[in-house]
Formats: sequence, C-alpha cells, structure tokens
Amino acid sequence: MQGPLIDTLARQGITRRTFLKYCATLASMMALPPTAGRAMAEAMAAARRPSVIWLPFQECTGCTESITRSHSPTIEGMIFDMISLDYQETLMAAAGHQAEAARANAMKENAGKYLLIVDGSIPLKMDGAYSCIGGRSNVDILKEAAAGCAAIVAMGSCASYGGIPKANPNPTGAVSVSDIVKDKPIVNIPGCPPIPVVMTGVLAHYLTFGSLPALDDKGRPKSFYGDTIHDRCYRRPFYDQGKFARTFDDEGARQGWCLFELGCKGPVTHNACATVKWNGGTSWPVESGHGCLGCSEPDFWDGGGFYKALSAPADPLKFAAAAAVVGAGAGVAVSFANRAKKSAARASHETTTLADLEK
Amino acid sequence: MSLDAIPIHVVNAPSGEPGLTGNAPPLLRELLEQVRRLLDTGEPSAIDLSALPLTPADLDWLHDKLGSGEIAVALQANGESTLNETGCPGVWWITHRNEQGAVTSQFIEVTFVPELVKAHPRDVAIGQEQLEFMISDL
Ligand code: SF4
Ligand code: SF4
Repeated sequence: MQGPLIDTLARQGITRRTFLKYCATLASMMALPPTAGRAMAEAMAAARRPSVIWLPFQECTGCTESITRSHSPTIEGMIFDMISLDYQETLMAAAGHQAEAARANAMKENAGKYLLIVDGSIPLKMDGAYSCIGGRSNVDILKEAAAGCAAIVAMGSCASYGGIPKANPNPTGAVSVSDIVKDKPIVNIPGCPPIPVVMTGVLAHYLTFGSLPALDDKGRPKSFYGDTIHDRCYRRPFYDQGKFARTFDDEGARQGWCLFELGCKGPVTHNACATVKWNGGTSWPVESGHGCLGCSEPDFWDGGGFYKALSAPADPLKFAAAAAVVGAGAGVAVSFANRAKKSAARASHETTTLADLEK
Repeated sequence: MSLDAIPIHVVNAPSGEPGLTGNAPPLLRELLEQVRRLLDTGEPSAIDLSALPLTPADLDWLHDKLGSGEIAVALQANGESTLNETGCPGVWWITHRNEQGAVTSQFIEVTFVPELVKAHPRDVAIGQEQLEFMISDL
C-alpha cells in the first residue's frame, strides 16, 4: 500500500488537471451527472490502492490483451496504477510456486477486502480436470478465492456467461462465475473481449464508492450496457428508412447502409461499442462494415449464425420497428428516454457530492 | 494502400442532413435557470452535451446562439481541451479531446471560472517550493 493515488500519479508525470479531465470523461461515459467527475476525482485521488487478485481460468487471454493494450501510453493504464495487482499470471514476474505463494499471501493479508477479477469460464466435467493451475482445479481455486473477497468482477463473456467454452456441445461442462459463487456481489463485464473503458469505469466506481455500480438483469453495469448497439448505431437512420446492404460488396454496403440483413445482432445486443468505440475511439465493428456478433449476450456463439438476419424479433426489435414508423424524431426521443432510464441522477444537471452519488 | 483505394464511402449522416431536432432550444432555458442560480447562490452547474440526443446541427445552432466571448483557454493534458467563455459571461463551452484529436466529452458549464482553470493549492505549494529553490540559488 502506498500514499494517496494523486501522489503516485504525479510521480509518473500525470498532472491533477489530466486526472480531472479523465474523470470528467469517465463520468460522462458512465452516465453520471456532469459534475460527478470532480467528486470522483477527489475521492479517487485520495483513495489508497485496494488489493486485486486476477484469476485466469478457461480463457484465451483476449480479455487481458484488450485491457492492457488499450492504447499506449495508456490513460487506462492509470487505473491500473490505482490498484495493487497482487496476482495476475500473465503480467506478474513471479512464476510457479512463487506466484501461488503471492496469491496466498495477498488473500491472507487482505482477507475480506480484496477485489477478485476472473476471466475465463470454469469447467466442471471430470471434476474440473479440464483446467487446472498448480495441480488444482479452477473451481477449487475460485471457491477459495471467492470466500475471502469483497466483490467479484467477471471479466469477459466466458466468466460472465460461459462464453465460447460453453458453446454447444460444451465439452468441458463450462459454467460462469455466478453459476458457482452465490454469496458475493458479482458484476459481469461481458464482451469478447470487453471494452477497456468499461473495465476501468467499474474499477473507478469501486475506488470512488467502495461498491459496484448499478446492474441490469444480466448482472452488467447499466451505465455501459443500458442501451443496445442498435439504439446508438450511427447506421440507425438507414434502418429506419429501410435501406439495407444485402451483400458485403453491393451498392448498399458501399453507401454504408444498415447491416441488419447481413446478420447484425445490434438490435438485441447490449454493449457500448456504438458510443465508446474500439482502439481508443478509432472505429468499431459496424463502422468497419461488419454486423455486430452479439458478443456481450449470453450464448452468442449459439445464436444461429453470425450472417443470418435476426428472425424472431426480440423486444428491442419491436421497439425499433415502432420507431421506424414514426420516423427519426421518435428514435431520438427513445434514446433520450433510455439515457434517462439509466440514471435518474442525470435528470438534474446539478452540483453533485459523493453522498448524492452513493444513493 | 491509401484509404481512397478502398471503394467504400464513409457515410456518417443519412443523406438529406439530420438537421435540427428541436432538442437544443430547451437547453437555453435550462441555461437561464442555471445562470440565475449562479447569481443568486453562487452555485455552479453543468450540462453534459455528449449525454443528450443532439445532432451536429443542434450543437452548431447552440454554439451559434451562445456565440464566443472574450476568453479562450487551451489546456494540454493528454490531448487538447478548450474552455471557452461564450457570449454570455459565466457560460463556458468545454471540449475535451484525446491525443488523436477526437472529442471525448463536451460540457457547458455555468460558473465564474471553470474548476479546471484554477490552480489547486497543493500544486501552488509545489510552485512555491520551486520559487524558493530558485531564490536560494541566486
Ligand atoms: S441493425 Fe446493426 S447496422 Fe443496422 S442500425 Fe442496427 S446496429 Fe446498426
Ligand atoms: S459490435 Fe457487437 S460483437 Fe462487436 S464487439 Fe461490440 S458487442 Fe461485440
């Protein structure tokens, strides 16, 4: 543990104003009231670094890649300076028994207080033999680490919902973290991989308030997963006008029309790609001409084909169709309402204190 | 290969311009409320523009209406931020950009001086040390 965060940042040449600016943008992305950035900055600047243990299970390391390579020299990386990452196989220098000892140590010293991050699903078939670390099964390690943690972050679709390992016929009997741990607060950050800023947003929230953000019915932070891709897609006006690309190289594709008929799962997928984008805000899948795969929804791999248009209109789709009839105006009102739904606090553009935000 | 070699037009707006949605004028009323409050109680407030359903045309309209004032502040902190007073004193248009120059967030703040412009006492204390050091070296 070191002194207040702002001092650590200052030593790395990150000024107070850079930090304030970052917090203002983060608060905006998290749909917190506009003045929340300052409250967050104050709280985070004074925060001591919490211990974090990161367990990798049945995974491809894509989630770790997404977070650590977000952009360089990364502002996201600042958040990693705000935590004390005591165990992360891929990033830590220690290996073998040393690494396992570091985990045991951190768990003992911070019992009841550490934050547990999990990426990857947990295989249950054959007593969990499909994935072991240091001779112990994933399920075993998870139960032990979960017992002493304050809260769990399930990073990526595998830890959140089972992900690709769970895809039909699920040979390893893969399950999600929430299938096993029932007695701890769990936040799911699905995505294959998840967007880096969602991860840092959740960490910032935890550092600021000491609790997890408000979650939707699938355990995802509402601030990032409150809208569907389709709600916020810049190609949405084409959808509303009935202008669709039918192949990847027809006139419609060249004109940048809606990718619905090419299998876009945007209408039923809750994620922040359309607003936050990828690679430091450079672009995102639909902008590069490919439909959304639905990677932040449970069982997206078994959704019936990435290039098959959605057939059974789910709720969000009906909703979109209604908006199409009334026209673009309704679309705007709808996204406005969604935004309002996400955060009641947003409604008042007023000064916010930490106490207000904690409500 | 240059981008022109790829036969795709990036179309960001539907043909026929998105135009005005009518969402901008109510913001002027809200700003009036906030300016009143600033004068009456000294309490600052802010509107997060990226959170509202405003088209580029709406933002232009708002920007045009508010005009520009006498002060324009540029802040270099992981990309440029501009904190510009509008034609209405006390109403500031604040744009944060990242290192690539893309807008990351945008606010209108109603305050005498935006918080980001003020120097923090702890940073001033560091400046004081520097000055003392300089003088001790004379
Ligand atoms: S269907 Fe896909 S491409 Fe079309 S508007 Fe919705 S999210 Fe965008
Ligand atoms: S656009 Fe869809 S499939 Fe692609 S990353 Fe975003 S949520 Fe996942």
